[in-house]
Amino acid sequence: MKSFANVNARDLKDAVTQLRQPNAVVVGGGSDLLGMMKEHLVQPDILVNLKSIRGLDQVSAKGAEVNIGGLITLDALSHHPLIRSNYAVLAEAAESVATPQIRNAGTLAGNVCQRPWCWYYRNNFSCFKNGGNKCFSVAGENQFHAIFGGGPSFIVPPSDTAPALVALDAKFRVVGPSGERTVPAAEFFKLPRVNAAKENILEKDEVLASVHLPRAAKGTKSTYHKVLDREAWTHAVVSAAVALEMDGEVCKRARIVLGGVAPIPWRLEKVEAMLA
Amino acid sequence: MNTLNSVGHASPRIDALQRVTGAATYTGDRRLPGMLYARVLRSPHPHARIKRIDISKAQAIDGVKAILTRENCDVVWGSGDTRNKRYLFNNPVRFVGDAVAAVAALDRHTAEEATRLIEVEYETLPFVLDPEEALKPGAPEIQPGGNLSPNNQGQRQPEVLRRGNIEEGFSAADRVFEDQFSSAHVNNAQLEPRVSIGQWQGDHLTVFASTQGISNCHTEIARDLNLPPEQVRVVCQFMGGGFGNKNQCHDFDLMAAMLAKQAGAPVKLEFTRKEDFIAVHGRWPTKQYYKVGVRNDGTLTAIQLRGYSGMGPYRKGTGGIAGIEIYQCPHVDRSVYPVYTNKAVSANLRGPDYPQSVFGLESLMDDVAYALQMDPVEFRLKNMTRKFNDQIPYTSIGLEDCIRRGAEAFEWKKRWNPVSGGSTQGTLRRGAGMAMGSFFSSMGRSSAVIDLDSKGIYHVHVGVTDIGTAAKTTMALIAAESLGVPHDQINAKIDVIWGDTDRCPYSVGESGSRTTTHTGYAVVEAAKDLKRQIAEKGMPQGNDILTATANTNPTIPGMARYSFVAHFAEVEVDVDLGHVRVTKYVAAHDSGRVVNPLTATSQVKGGATMGIGMALHEELLYDRASGQPLTAGYYGARVMTHRDAPDIEVLWVETEDAYGPYGAKTLGEPTIIPSVAAVANAIYNAIGKRIKDLPITRDKVLGVLA
Repeated sequence: MKSFANVNARDLKDAVTQLRQPNAVVVGGGSDLLGMMKEHLVQPDILVNLKSIRGLDQVSAKGAEVNIGGLITLDALSHHPLIRSNYAVLAEAAESVATPQIRNAGTLAGNVCQRPWCWYYRNNFSCFKNGGNKCFSVAGENQFHAIFGGGPSFIVPPSDTAPALVALDAKFRVVGPSGERTVPAAEFFKLPRVNAAKENILEKDEVLASVHLPRAAKGTKSTYHKVLDREAWTHAVVSAAVALEMDGEVCKRARIVLGGVAPIPWRLEKVEAMLA
Repeated sequence: MNTLNSVGHASPRIDALQRVTGAATYTGDRRLPGMLYARVLRSPHPHARIKRIDISKAQAIDGVKAILTRENCDVVWGSGDTRNKRYLFNNPVRFVGDAVAAVAALDRHTAEEATRLIEVEYETLPFVLDPEEALKPGAPEIQPGGNLSPNNQGQRQPEVLRRGNIEEGFSAADRVFEDQFSSAHVNNAQLEPRVSIGQWQGDHLTVFASTQGISNCHTEIARDLNLPPEQVRVVCQFMGGGFGNKNQCHDFDLMAAMLAKQAGAPVKLEFTRKEDFIAVHGRWPTKQYYKVGVRNDGTLTAIQLRGYSGMGPYRKGTGGIAGIEIYQCPHVDRSVYPVYTNKAVSANLRGPDYPQSVFGLESLMDDVAYALQMDPVEFRLKNMTRKFNDQIPYTSIGLEDCIRRGAEAFEWKKRWNPVSGGSTQGTLRRGAGMAMGSFFSSMGRSSAVIDLDSKGIYHVHVGVTDIGTAAKTTMALIAAESLGVPHDQINAKIDVIWGDTDRCPYSVGESGSRTTTHTGYAVVEAAKDLKRQIAEKGMPQGNDILTATANTNPTIPGMARYSFVAHFAEVEVDVDLGHVRVTKYVAAHDSGRVVNPLTATSQVKGGATMGIGMALHEELLYDRASGQPLTAGYYGARVMTHRDAPDIEVLWVETEDAYGPYGAKTLGEPTIIPSVAAVANAIYNAIGKRIKDLPITRDKVLGVLA
């Protein structure tokens, strides 16, 4: 691992200011970033640590809405009573991530923004994600790559919480040097045809600060199913985040979002329309 | 079988408290004064000639104390290749991960930074990954003389086993079955990464190793570094597993020692998890072409195998594809080609020659049984071995009991579908499979020394290291039994001294599942000597001690000594998702008398679990275009997790065997031999389709069902 400086951010404004320095990156739980640094996949000079910011790991009800700080650990999120009762799909998705150790360190924002686990990318092939101009999976080993929405890169995002948040119509609060913006979860993620090097709209000096969940409509039932290649600690071969607003036996509104099969959380809008 | 006082009683490990409280000092925990840390630079290419190495920039970094390359280090790692000279640093480099240079520095970080500043100019060479491709004319030559690895006599011929006349065997058959199978490179994946510390005091070298055998590690370090054996000491007090790839001395032991010599300070070299998957060795991938002749009544007449094993570019292991001997059959013809490839090296991994080949053999035998409308259990009972290779009587054989009692405990008749793919329950299909195997239960050379002091403490000196098998505890139990020490006084009266070549006599090393049978036998004989001395001289008084020694090397004239095993698995296959889950598992073992049922049961569970992972998802996958490994590490290689391990019921068939310590036979390696095949056969029984390539992943399951 290359030498680096750690900067404890005082607040979000300080964090995004620090991020403007050359070769600075943001770190939350660090469960993935530190491994990538060890493998020399990324070699930052400065880590801007968000964990020094107080209160960014809280769940708070604001009227009928719920705000979740991006720094909440996946473990805490999966056990939170309000999330479990009203937004089961998110709790179950958080609970399905990796291993207990990783869930104790890894954060919600980190999981949403996690870089791909494509084996070509992670083994430092000169692919789109590593600054190259090729996707090696096309002619190579591609059993875990995108079957929808791919091209020119065919990565799939490793996040379990991302499809859940899209299914819940969450909004993401993004903080940058010129202030903050709020975007629907579905618009946060971008297909590789927009920019094959990136997976989402975040600029280098922006931070995913928190997630807003709309009021859980009465009768909403949601769940997350994940298919793994062993019983734990793999990313989804395919996963389904499902949220249905039920009125008795009638489905009023449906959200079905797949993970593991496309470069972004993949909504099945036709299926949703058929159900609702 | 008669009951004994200590042997045969479930006993916690004598060092359990140290291990679970963190008091045990593993090699990676050791810090010597002034110790440096090392890192290795490895080839990024599967095959390349090094045209130039420039270490000047690395040398210029503060804190860098020693750098080794082929230019200043021509040490040959003797056990790294039994056919060719394998240097610590080779040119050309022959696989991704082949060592190019090693650096020792004040800390790991600096050492690693320095490796990245070493400039290497490579001329890349053509490479080949597949063993059959490697034998074709025009394939890249990996070692001088061709890619078929020579045998012990230096001849480039396959390893051959012949009995009877194979053509006669096929002529005598009513039906002939033929099929091909393949298996993947899987890793030993033990928890403790490879680590070694070299320390020189004058011209004496101490190596704090993580080894499966201090004695052979010691002998080989002395040989490879050209030192008199008395100037070398190997210490391994606690080690965290190896499953066959920490046997003997390793390149990291030699590198640490050579770096320490150049730096004039002790050096610790510890591999990363990734290095632990690509830079050492795993199980050889195979291709197997089996052909079997059988009469309509189910009697085998002929078994033929042509097999190819991918050894990587260095011949470190046998490359064997074994297991046919589990069947009684008059005509056998086996040719196995151990072939050089540009993949990671392959060598010993728990039952090195077996689980992959028993997968192929037992898959085809299963097909034969179904085709003849025989219950696979009945087919095996009919054709199982009675004499080794149909010729040599066994010292004891409990195979039939393993099959019968295992089938009963498993409820075979209830779980097995006479028509494969017949059991339907929504998208889930259940099925049952079984397989059998045997493993050489070796007797041979070892030593033990027992001192008795006037306090009545028995100091048992044995050269074991305990790789997780509880060897120290086994030795204590055998010593207690032989010396008449009551079971509840073992901790008070028996003091086991292990893991240090300056303090312990020769032991065979924890490989080939031989420690209990070899070293345990030496303990029995030393105890007999001690008891004779006590009878003659009385118990020692005051400052006196009595010392008994045994250097044993028993032989068994005219008989074969084997352990036997039958495993039974039930799986549930989701035909929509291709997901396979093991829902029931019974392992029946004849390992003679079981010395410690507690740790022996754990060994069986561990072996079966490894086999299930190998059957279902483990693989070091390669990118064919670049020759790069893609799945190194616990995450990528899909090693079993706790949640993958099913409940495994262990059944002991304790045969009376007249040899070995109290009739104990081999255990550690038989545990994995039939497990892969049992799971594969259960999948066949569930879905009615045969998958012939390991691992049996989701895509293959869905593929055969499509």
